[in-house]
Amino acid sequence: MEPIITTTDLRKSFRSKRGPVEAVRGVSIVVGRGEIFGFLGPNGAGKTTTLRMLTTLLPIDSGSATVAGLDVGRAPKEVRARIGYVSQLGGADELATGRENLVLQGRLYGDSLATVTARAERLMAALDLTDFADRKVRTYSGGQRRRLDIAMGIVHEPEVLFLDEPSTGLDPQNRANLWVQIEALRARGTTVFLTTHYLEEADVLCDRLVIMDHGEIVAEGTPRDLKREVAGDAVVIVVHGGHEAAQRAGRILEREPSVREATVEDDVLRLYVEDGGTALPILLRLLDAERIELRTINLSEPTLDDVFLRQTGRSLRDGGPAGTEAAA
Amino acid sequence: MKVATDIGLLYKRYTRQMLRNPIWLFVGFSTPVLYLALFTPLLKQVTRAPSTGIALELFLPGIMSLMAFASGSSAGFSTIFELQGGVIERFRVTPTSRFAILIGPILSGLSMMLVFDLVVVFVGIGFGFDAHWGGLAVLAVLLCLLATTFAAFSVATAISTKEISAFAAVINGINLPLLLLAGVLLPISSQTAPAWMQVLAHFNPLYYLVVASRALAVDAYGRPEVWQAFAVLAPICAAMLAWATRIFRRAVA
Repeated sequence: MEPIITTTDLRKSFRSKRGPVEAVRGVSIVVGRGEIFGFLGPNGAGKTTTLRMLTTLLPIDSGSATVAGLDVGRAPKEVRARIGYVSQLGGADELATGRENLVLQGRLYGDSLATVTARAERLMAALDLTDFADRKVRTYSGGQRRRLDIAMGIVHEPEVLFLDEPSTGLDPQNRANLWVQIEALRARGTTVFLTTHYLEEADVLCDRLVIMDHGEIVAEGTPRDLKREVAGDAVVIVVHGGHEAAQRAGRILEREPSVREATVEDDVLRLYVEDGGTALPILLRLLDAERIELRTINLSEPTLDDVFLRQTGRSLRDGGPAGTEAAA
Repeated sequence: MKVATDIGLLYKRYTRQMLRNPIWLFVGFSTPVLYLALFTPLLKQVTRAPSTGIALELFLPGIMSLMAFASGSSAGFSTIFELQGGVIERFRVTPTSRFAILIGPILSGLSMMLVFDLVVVFVGIGFGFDAHWGGLAVLAVLLCLLATTFAAFSVATAISTKEISAFAAVINGINLPLLLLAGVLLPISSQTAPAWMQVLAHFNPLYYLVVASRALAVDAYGRPEVWQAFAVLAPICAAMLAWATRIFRRAVA
């Protein structure tokens, strides 16, 4: 793997009314050329802050970062020429057309009008934008706009494309469409570095990812390896009788040898077992003997959420991210 | 050179945005014309000017100074909107010169201002204003210096405050005293103003522009007000641009 992004003990803190807040606390990563690399974590985990340091938008407090072989702190201008960045906001000019936006963006990287115009034409064709290339961006739908944002991020053919929460606010169909486009970028050799709080996005799209929480990396690997670490299957049990009943059930089932781990959150008991199929009947019998009534029982293969839960004791689904999903 | 190209690109972009938003054009045109139509008759009475043309010699340069000040100090409003829309960030992550990101929109604003100034002069001529084109050309340079000074200040303030209410508070807080202490509508002179007010006015860059503009409107290049205005406004303008570029260079969160 030829590294294209490396960071060593990257740190950033902000001043706030209640004293300094450490947003990024010692992040060290290596991203290989041509990878789709993801930062997964809840809001406030430090994903965007890390991304903003790597894209020269925020000064680095301590530690170091190189992008495309260049030190981000010492050669920001050279780094800028080699990267593309699409923020959550996008930032296209609403009163200009898609084509005008693309051409200006390309020109700001110093390429000639002829080169940029030809490239814009090709990009619009590749990203299904040609039909409304001459319409003002104000009239674009969410999905069309996001595709334009991405086109603007790669109009200068950067080595690395940074995407900050690319699919926030998109409906499932547009999200799936976006994933196809991002995979197409990898096929062309562009390295893609993205942040997301969508588990499925990280799982489907990323070659490798890190899971971040409170400014630190809590897990790193391919989605498959990370899920394999959790081991076996997850059994999710919701009991009658609330938190106490769930805890009691947890204590009982923990003694069963096939159960590797049990965590309780409210009235939900989550177990990791070696083989769900054979464990289920045993678990049901044990609970029945103790007269614990079940509301539901679910067997599933582990997801990245299980990885997150195991590392942090919290679920990525229930916390902040779900709320922002609704807001977005 | 890359900087010149960048300035050109961003100048064109900003001008295009303005022209596609006709409400700004309408406001820009109507304000000075309203001043001329609704204030000049009063001024003629108050100053006992023998003709509207003579009243305008006093008032029309004041209006142009006011427009330069207003166009400059309001420049940051669009910066705030562009910050919130992610536009400034999009530019900052490209290798575009930071100075170009600052000055492109400012130059576009200056062009717009000069077009409005021409309209005002022609409307004034309609009312009987005697245009001295040489003096007006020199005045145009001074107007640009002042507008650039306040535009740089306004944009840098927008970048630092990042949101509209804090920005508006700073700009409004500064605008009113500067306007009152400039003698735009009624001149501040030894006949009209108390001594302390005359002293205070000398700390106001806008005051120098206003008094010089009245001299230039009657082609009196030789009066000390004219070179004094250049001596005060040129260095302030350079300092303000340098400061604002620094603000742009320093990362904004």
